Amino acid sequence: MTGSVEKGVKHIRLSELNQKITTVIFGAFNNLSFWVVADVTSHSFRDQTGSHNFELVEKDPVSHTIVAKIRGKAWGNGTLRIEAFERQTGQKFTNNINVLVNVSVEFHPVYGLQLNLNDIDPAFTLGMLEQQRLSILEALVIKNPGFISKVGERFITRNNQLKLKAVLQKIAIISSKTSAGGEDFLHTLENNPFGYKFTVDHYHTAVQGENNAEQFLQKIIEVFNSGKEYDVVVITRGGGAQTDFLMFDNYNIGRAVARFPIPIITGIGHQRNETIADLMAHTQTKTPTKAAEFIIAHNKSYEDGMIDLQRRIIIRTQQRLSRSQHELVEIRQNTIDTARSVLFHHQKMLSNRSSNLQIFIQQYLKNKKGYVAHLVSMIKLMAPDSIMKRGFAIVKSGDKVISNANDLEAGSKIDIILSGDKINATVNQKMKNDGSEFNI
Amino acid sequence: MDQNLTYETAYAELTQIAREIEDESVSVDLLAEKVKRASELIAFCQKKLKSTENEVNKIISQMEKNN
Repeated sequence: MTGSVEKGVKHIRLSELNQKITTVIFGAFNNLSFWVVADVTSHSFRDQTGSHNFELVEKDPVSHTIVAKIRGKAWGNGTLRIEAFERQTGQKFTNNINVLVNVSVEFHPVYGLQLNLNDIDPAFTLGMLEQQRLSILEALVIKNPGFISKVGERFITRNNQLKLKAVLQKIAIISSKTSAGGEDFLHTLENNPFGYKFTVDHYHTAVQGENNAEQFLQKIIEVFNSGKEYDVVVITRGGGAQTDFLMFDNYNIGRAVARFPIPIITGIGHQRNETIADLMAHTQTKTPTKAAEFIIAHNKSYEDGMIDLQRRIIIRTQQRLSRSQHELVEIRQNTIDTARSVLFHHQKMLSNRSSNLQIFIQQYLKNKKGYVAHLVSMIKLMAPDSIMKRGFAIVKSGDKVISNANDLEAGSKIDIILSGDKINATVNQKMKNDGSEFNI
Repeated sequence: MDQNLTYETAYAELTQIAREIEDESVSVDLLAEKVKRASELIAFCQKKLKSTENEVNKIISQMEKNN
């Protein structure tokens, strides 16, 4: 090099050249800024200086080869804008995101050409994310007709069609080991005012960063492979920076949640729209605490139902008893009345029978006496004495009573016996008598 | 008196005797015996009714006490 100088070739120092470039660039780009759409790569962040270093690239939409690339940085106000962007989008400023940034062009004698990030548009990225989310949702429906479908604005999945058990007690929770969300969930669950007991198994995994989706998926599979009959699986996330929940918009996680055979409750803790995991899950809640409250409320409604049943059983039982008691009182009174009346009736009958009997006996005896008396008077009437008193006489021949005159002739001796006197007589004449005088 | 006699059979027999006497189908030779039997049956039935009444009253007062 010294040789070249000695030869007297005209030259300038590099700093002079860079100064010239600086001047040209400054002249061309001073006070200008541009809104540029690009992908971020090679990103790094320095905590001490609060500065982002990255590269912006543009890829060919078909071949994906890089067609433009430039270094960029953000510090001071640019870093503040990035923080605001991250808050609003839930998207970390990091590699492989497509952004709309406002940049100015700078050339530094040492660091060279680079873009200074002045601003970043969250709406653009939100739109991108939403588009991406919608296309994943669409793919989920199209590729998994067996367990995901869309009805109106609602997604019907195998998981959200599962029926929750009446009581939820055996719980698997998927959360990060250090997650405040997991703590909130447990705390709320264990301090429930009703004294409900729970068995909780922890499945720890990173729940942030899209790159951890595969690990998260493995945890879901691990819950399944445990063979334990969990009542419900809870996915929580929360606490710390409220950024980057893109993992829950992941296709594979959405698919796994949709087809999972145990009801999944999400408590992911986000401000934005529901994530895809939320849409696929059985029940989504806003925060881990709300997820725990949901479970407690579910159990409470079961208990309330039980208490209500118990109350109704008691009331019905009391009503039934009371009715039976009334019936019994009535039956008792009837029994008393009937018993008394039956007794009375029988006493009456017996007494009637008894007095009738006496009358019958007297009548009987009187009748019998009457018969005897009748016979007596008949006999008296037929006695010869009474007949003779009425003017009849007995005719005897010797010792024989004569009832016809066959044996008598004129001159026969006869005795005529009257009531009190006896006459000896001789038959003078015998003649026929027609007897009509005495034939009554 | 027959040990197995019930109110019903006693009453039926009593009725039978009363009927026999009423229609005089009983002979005088048996009358005294029948009347004696009737008197026994009446006594039996009265005793039965009385004791039943006492028992019923006792039960009823027990029922009322329990209420």
